[in-house]
This record gives sequence, structure tokens and C-alpha cells, in this order.
Amino acid sequence: MEFAELIKTSRVESVVLAGAGLPPARGTLCITSHHLLLSSRPGGAGAAATVELWLLIRNVDAVEKRLCGSSGTITLRCKDLRVLQLEIPGMEECLNVASSIEALSSVDSLMMMYPFFYRPQGLRLEDGWHLFPLERFFQCIAAQTNQWRLSAVNKDFSTCPTYPPALIVPAAVDDGALRKAARFRHGGRFPVLSYYHRKNGTVMLRSGQPLTGPNRKRCPEDELLLAAALAQAARGFVVDTRSLQAAKQARMGGGGTEPKSAYPRWKRLHRPLERGRPLQESFVRLVDACNDASLSMDRWLSRLESSRWLSHVKAALSTACLAAQCLEREEACVLVHGAEGTDTTLLVTALAQLILDPSCRTLAGFQGLLEREWIQAGHPFHVRCARSAYSHARLKQEAPLFLLFLDCVWQLGRQFPRSLEFGERLLLALFDSAYASSYGTFLGNNEKER
Amino acid sequence: NEEIPRLPGETRVTDKDVIYMCPFNGPVKGRVYITNYRLYLRSVETDPVVVLNVPLGVISRIEKMGGASSRGENSYGLDITCKDMRNLRFALKQEGHSRRDIFEVLTKHAFPQSHNLPFFAFANEEKFSENGWMVYNPMCEYRRQGLPNERWRVTFINEHYGLCDTYPSLLVVPYNATDDDLKKVAAFRSRNRIPVLSWIHPENQAVIMRCSQPLVGMSGKRNKDDERYLDIIREANGQISKLTIYDARPNVNAVANKATGGGYESEDAYPNAELFFLDIHNIHVMRESLKKLKDIVYPNVEESHWLSSLESTHWLEHIKLVLTGAIQVADKVSSGRSSVLVHCSDGWDRTAQLTSLAMLMLDSYYRTIEGFEVLVQKEWISFGHKFASRIGHGDKNHADADRSPIFLQYIDCVWQMSKQFPTAFEFNEQFLITILDHLYSCRFGTFLYNSESVREKEVSQATKTLSLWSLINSEKSKFTNPFYTKELNRALYPVASMRHLELWVNYYIRWNPRIRQQQPNPVEQRYMELLALRDDYMRRLEELQITNNSKIPNSSASSASPSQMMSHVQTHF
Repeated sequence: MEFAELIKTSRVESVVLAGAGLPPARGTLCITSHHLLLSSRPGGAGAAATVELWLLIRNVDAVEKRLCGSSGTITLRCKDLRVLQLEIPGMEECLNVASSIEALSSVDSLMMMYPFFYRPQGLRLEDGWHLFPLERFFQCIAAQTNQWRLSAVNKDFSTCPTYPPALIVPAAVDDGALRKAARFRHGGRFPVLSYYHRKNGTVMLRSGQPLTGPNRKRCPEDELLLAAALAQAARGFVVDTRSLQAAKQARMGGGGTEPKSAYPRWKRLHRPLERGRPLQESFVRLVDACNDASLSMDRWLSRLESSRWLSHVKAALSTACLAAQCLEREEACVLVHGAEGTDTTLLVTALAQLILDPSCRTLAGFQGLLEREWIQAGHPFHVRCARSAYSHARLKQEAPLFLLFLDCVWQLGRQFPRSLEFGERLLLALFDSAYASSYGTFLGNNEKER
Repeated sequence: NEEIPRLPGETRVTDKDVIYMCPFNGPVKGRVYITNYRLYLRSVETDPVVVLNVPLGVISRIEKMGGASSRGENSYGLDITCKDMRNLRFALKQEGHSRRDIFEVLTKHAFPQSHNLPFFAFANEEKFSENGWMVYNPMCEYRRQGLPNERWRVTFINEHYGLCDTYPSLLVVPYNATDDDLKKVAAFRSRNRIPVLSWIHPENQAVIMRCSQPLVGMSGKRNKDDERYLDIIREANGQISKLTIYDARPNVNAVANKATGGGYESEDAYPNAELFFLDIHNIHVMRESLKKLKDIVYPNVEESHWLSSLESTHWLEHIKLVLTGAIQVADKVSSGRSSVLVHCSDGWDRTAQLTSLAMLMLDSYYRTIEGFEVLVQKEWISFGHKFASRIGHGDKNHADADRSPIFLQYIDCVWQMSKQFPTAFEFNEQFLITILDHLYSCRFGTFLYNSESVREKEVSQATKTLSLWSLINSEKSKFTNPFYTKELNRALYPVASMRHLELWVNYYIRWNPRIRQQQPNPVEQRYMELLALRDDYMRRLEELQITNNSKIPNSSASSASPSQMMSHVQTHF
């Protein structure tokens, strides 16, 4: 498939661009394989043209067209929540532009994404790909204790396709046991170390749900793994991000919870966190409420409330605080999991680390946290961020977990204004990049794909 | 006898062992001390010590809780409702009439007015380095605005409050209006509150005038003197075609007021004026709104449906309407297109909010500490906002329909503006909260009584009480905003949309320990540390400069002194 086949009209003169906050600009619209460009007429005396718009087509969530006589208006609703309008002279040009954008923005193949084509001139960049190796993170732990080791059991991704090649596991458990434990966990995501709390040697682990199923299966290797993780700590808490009812129902589908008899020193706490379709809908309602220009003043708050977005933020922060308190105050270990272990699980472990560890609040530390707990941990960015709040398409697995995480981080920054080394702008840039970016950081669903 | 904090002039009246039913920490055993100024509680046997320090002026109602036959632990005692978003409950030993004496003492000293006793402000013997009564001098403030000039004159017609007993003694009116004209206009304005000048724009000379509603009544009366007067006002600013009138009320209310003799300026009677209604509700609606807000934040915050509960109080909605109205006033004046006349019904509630907020938006002087004090003294205190009736100082009639949080609402609007423009105000949040605390406390004479005429005539306040501004100006650094950047003449227009207004949690939910944010404000603290560091470096540089100059006898002292250099390297925001 050639990009050129998808572009019906690559250049239209005299297009007017308008959008919230922008003064309208008239210029030449160009469609390339990955971008929409609008450059306004050069000023007098040979002054250079101004680029008014340089939009990644991947950023487009929904395209609407309205024809009026001999011209048409295309409304582009973007994944970064911008809304832009292009007034295009000529009905045919308008229809061609609209369908070109629709076709280009629907390209789903990973290798066709812009980061593979982006060659910035004159930019000296650090080699970001290798800034945060797990080995270096492990060194800090190894310096404190020899209870843990770095395992290469997953170096060919055969044990767990969504985990990274290097994992931190209890020293007392060998790779063979890990492989067996992996078969007992959803998606092969057996419990691994997410965070070591230096102050008291407690640890936070994360995993997928145990596959106990209706027959209450057990797995001695999984039990061994969790017992070894506890080591000196008297007890552990399993923070299950599903409601008690949902966790029980999961058994019918082959999943379930850790039975008390098999994991005697672990106590289970349920803190349901929303994910999937309901979370995406909450996001859509929130954006609707924000955009509604007609919203009369006395309905804003209740509309915000009915989107339930803030209650999701609150639940995420409370759960992360709970996990943090277990480690810090109760001096107990924590295992976090939901069903798959790729969404709300990562939300909790990442936030808990921000709460507990000042080094995660530095710019470098935060980047490392994102790398470990979101990217390498296998949050499926590609499917979660395929579409955003405006898309009319039938959504498959989209859900704004990462945005929810960024909102929680923003809340922390508001309550503790001197505690984060980075500001709101970083969070906004991260939000944009997760949906459409010139860079490959958020491409793909896991390390195996990358 | 244990010592409790006491102001000079404050005397102890009684004390008693009680159990303070703290809604956050549970029952606390302690001793309560009552003076002629405050109720002070100190806990016993608890760590850390729990302290309550409540000026009696804050109390709006004292009720007996439980009777001789009530059962249940801690069910016998006193229930105290306060004006500042909290309530206090004390349990007493259910023996004999242990409650009667403390109930009587509290009632007497919390409601001195109802018992023919003086306010504590008259017994207060504090001394401050600053005299707050000197802050506001009407003539000085008008001169600061370039008045009087050829178009506007100062009139002393109200020197003895003969024209209007709720107005100040000094008024600014159009040059072309005679004192006789003013008398005639007074007959057509509610409470004789004729249109007078609040503020004049330094460049375009458009003005903000304030007054009360015209006495149109059901029969649609007209008054040619009033009509001519408005024309004179319009003509005083040569450039404009229509005078803009902002009626703070909702349209329906303004119309309904006709039935009681009031009304608004109709198009037929005032063809050269354009009238807009600003939809701000009356004092009763505001009182109810605050009551609902108190219900959802004290003692417990209504967590489960917080946002819709907050919405149902309409408190932020009213804030929005007041701010929006003020923005319209400010915008109209600053655009130079028109002078503005603002009124509500009586012109001492919503009108004061609108004029003083618009002035805050337009004139950076009022954003300084001293300027804000002047603004409050002028637009609120001297222009007869009925503080005594609205707050009910020392009055036991807690259900009085005249009570209403209009001034609190205004301060909330100021706070909203300070959040949106963090560098524009010389004062900080503590300044605003302190003003609100002493709105109720009766420690100072500033907010006592309803009008200047009462204050001057019946009680020569300045010599008998202290001004709140004495306290504040003697400790200015405590109330100064470290981010303040003096920007002359920048008009500030806040965004009044519901999405940008916030509930002032640090005031309305201040008593709840869970809600308290990091104290002191970490960013302010850090900024003050940096300022101190800068001062330290400047001093050292100066010292080095001096030693350097003294070492080389021929060195020209041409280089600027460090402090001069520093003023060019201003740390900006």
C-alpha cells in the first residue's frame, strides 16, 4: 500500500483554517503521507510564508464535512482534543481532502507510523532508547539486599509476550518455577517486582489475575514466588482493582483471586477501578461537557459530576495511597493486580511510586517511571490510544488509562506544588504523544512488538 | 489560675470544665474560659493540646442541648451556631443547673447589644504602631483621582447628613448640578440615595456613578429633575451619546419593586440612557445560598455527590453573576464609550459589590494593601452598607431577615480574582481571611454600625475604638503577597465562567483538618526565601563594592551602587 494511493488531492489553494483560540488564516493546504500543512500567503517583499498548521494526520479522531454551495467546511476533531476547521473552495476538492484525511488517519499498521519516517535535521538528541535500562534500576536494589535477582527467563518473550525481556524476581525462585507460575497468571504475567521501598525493605509487586478458575486450581510455583517475595515482612496485601463481585465472577471465565488457604500471609483488599468501555465513555462525557459552549452556568458542576471522571481520579489516587500506606506504615508487601494486569494495575503501581519515592518526582526519575511502569510493563498503548474522545468509529479496546494517570499526577502537583520537578506542560506533551507523535516511544503495545 | 491569651482591656468573666464535642476528633475534655471578648477552650489530658479561640462576636445563636432528663453520654450541654462556617458543641455535667450560669454569661457577652452592653471594641486597649483611622481621607482619595475638576465638584450638602443619612458627608457630583438640583433628585431616589460619583477613569474621564432605584412606583411616576440630572451626568463626559445604567436586579424583581414604590429608569423617561439588568439576586437568596453551603461542608464534606451538592447551593453561581456584572461595568467605562450608573434597590448591597469590584478591576491602586483598605472604607463603610444589620453584631436575633453575607460574597469575588491574577494584588489570602474574621469579632470599630452618620454622630468611633487597618498595617509583611508585581494601570478582567471559579476551600472549609492544605504555602515560602537570599547577596555586593572602592583611592565612583544596579535587574514574574 502506497500512501500516494490514499491521497486524492495533495494541494489546495486558498483554504481558510479556523479553530478555538486561533485567528483565522488563509493559505495553501498540503496533504502529505503523514501531515496536514497549511502555509499562509507570504507577506509582501518576499517575506517567507508562515506555517499555520502542521498537524499529524494520526492525530485526527473524527472528520466531518459540510458542503455549502461551491465550497465545503471540514471539521477535524483531534485526539489531543483540538477542534479545527478548514474551509475549502470547490466541492470536489473538499470531498477529496476529507476522504484523503479519513483514509490516512485510519492506517493502522505500525510500520507505517510517522516515527519511522521522522528525520529531524539539526536536532541533537540524547539516545533516549537506552536511558533507563532495568539493569540500572536493579542495581539500586541489589545494593540494599540480595533477596532479588534479575531474570532473563523472558528474553525471547516466550514466557510472557507482554512483559519486557528483563524482570526482577525473588532470588530464591528459579527460572523454571517462573515459567510454571506464568502459566497460572492471566497473559503469562506472573508477579514481578515493581518497586523496592528502601526505608523498610518492603516491596510492591504487580501481576495479572491468578487463573484459579471454577475448580479452584492451585499453582505451587506461584505460591512459592509470593512467599519468597514476602521474605522478612510479616504479611502482604493483595490490592485487587476489581470489585469483590467482579473478581468472583472472573472465576467462571477461568480467572479469579488468590485463595486465602494457599496464600496465608496475604490479605486481599478490593478497590474497584474503572477501565475499558466505561472509562472511555466517562472521558467522552467529560470532553463533551468541557466543549459545550452553550452550557448554562448552573449545569457545569453537575454535568462534570455525571461524567464521573473525577470520581475515577479520586479512586485511583485513594488506591495508590492505600498501596503506599501498606508499604510505608503497615510495613507490609503489596501485590497489585486486576484482571489483565496491564491497565489499572499499572496506574496504581506508578502512582504509588510517585507518592513514596522522591526520585520519581524528578524529571529523569519520572521518565524512568514511565518507561518501567507503563511502556516496558506492557500497557497496550497502540490499542488504548488508537482513538480518543471524538471518534465516531466503533471502539474496540480504547480507554484513557494513561490520561487518567496524567490527571492524577497533575492533582499531586497541585496539592504539593514544590514536589514535582516537572510542570503541567510535560503532562500535556505526554498526553499528546500517547495518541500521535513524531517519536516512537509510545508505539506498539509491548516490548515484544517494539 | 491558668493563663489564657488576653488583649489589653480584655477581662475574664468565668470559666468552666466542659467536654468539647469536636466533630473531627471526638469528645475532648477541657476547660472553657469566657472573657468579654472571646471564648477560649484548652483541652486537658490530650496530646497535642486542643485549643479553641473564638471571638464572641462570631456567635450567632446559643441553644441549650438536652434537658434534665436526657440520657446518653454527652447529650446535655450547649449548641453554639457561629457566623464563620462552624458550630460548637459543649457537653456539660448533668448536675443541678450547671448549665444555667454559663448559658447566661455567654448570652450576655455574645449579644451585648441585646443586653445594653458595649462592644468589646470600646473596651479594647490595644496599641498599634499604625493608626488605621488615618488610612481613608475622602478628600485625599478624590484628589488622587484628579477630582474635583472642571466637570466634577465636591459638594458638602450632606455635611450633616441632611440630604441622605446613609451617604457619606462628602459627595462628588457633576459641576453643572446645583445643590438645589440634588435636593430635588433625592426626593425621587429610594432612601434619598442620589447618583454620585464613585470613580473616574483617568484617561477617558468616563465615570462610575452609584445610587438607588428611582421611585417610579405602580403609576409610572416621572421626575424631570432626576431625568435632567442623568443628562447632566451624561454630558459631563463630553464624548458619549448614551448613559449606561446597570440595574443589579433581575428584570422581574425590578418590575415587582414598582408595587412597593420603586422601579427602574424606563426608556421613555430616559431616552438618553440604556439600561441593563444584571440578574443578581437579593439578600435573602444569598443568605439561603450560604446556609446550604455550610450544610454541605460542615462538619462533614458531602463527598458522595460533592459537585452536584455544591451546584445546588448556587453559591458559585451568584459569585459568577456578581463578577460578570462588575466586568460589564468595568468594560463599559474603560472602553470610554459611556459613563455608567449602577443601582440595585437601595444601592448599598449589590451596588457596593459592583462598584468596588469594577474599581478593583480598573484601578491598580485598589490592589495595594492601603488602596484596598481605602476601597472598603469608601464604597462599603462610608457609603452605608448596613454592616450592623447584615452581620447582626452583638444581636441575639439570629433569624433576622436583614442578615446576609453580601460582604463575604464580595471578598470571595476578590479572592477569585487573586487566584486568576496571582501577581496583581499586594495582599495575600491571609489578608482577606483576617478581614473576614474581624468582620464578626467586634474587636475593632471598623465594621460596627450601619452608616457614617451613626458612627460620627452617636459614637465618635475614631477616638473610642481601634481600626482594623491599625492591626493590619502594623504587620504588613504578614499580609503581603510575595509575588506582587506593581503594574500601573493594567485593567484586569477575570474569567467569570463556572469552569474557572473555585470554591474558596481555605475559608469555607478551614475548620476541617483533612482539608487543610500545606501550611504555610510552600511556594510563597520558597519565594520569600529566595527574596531574602537576594537581599543578602545585594548587601554583600555593596560591602564588597565599598571595600573595593576604598582600596583603590582613584577609582571613580561612577559605577552605580549595587542597589541601583539591582533595580535594573528586577526579578519579574
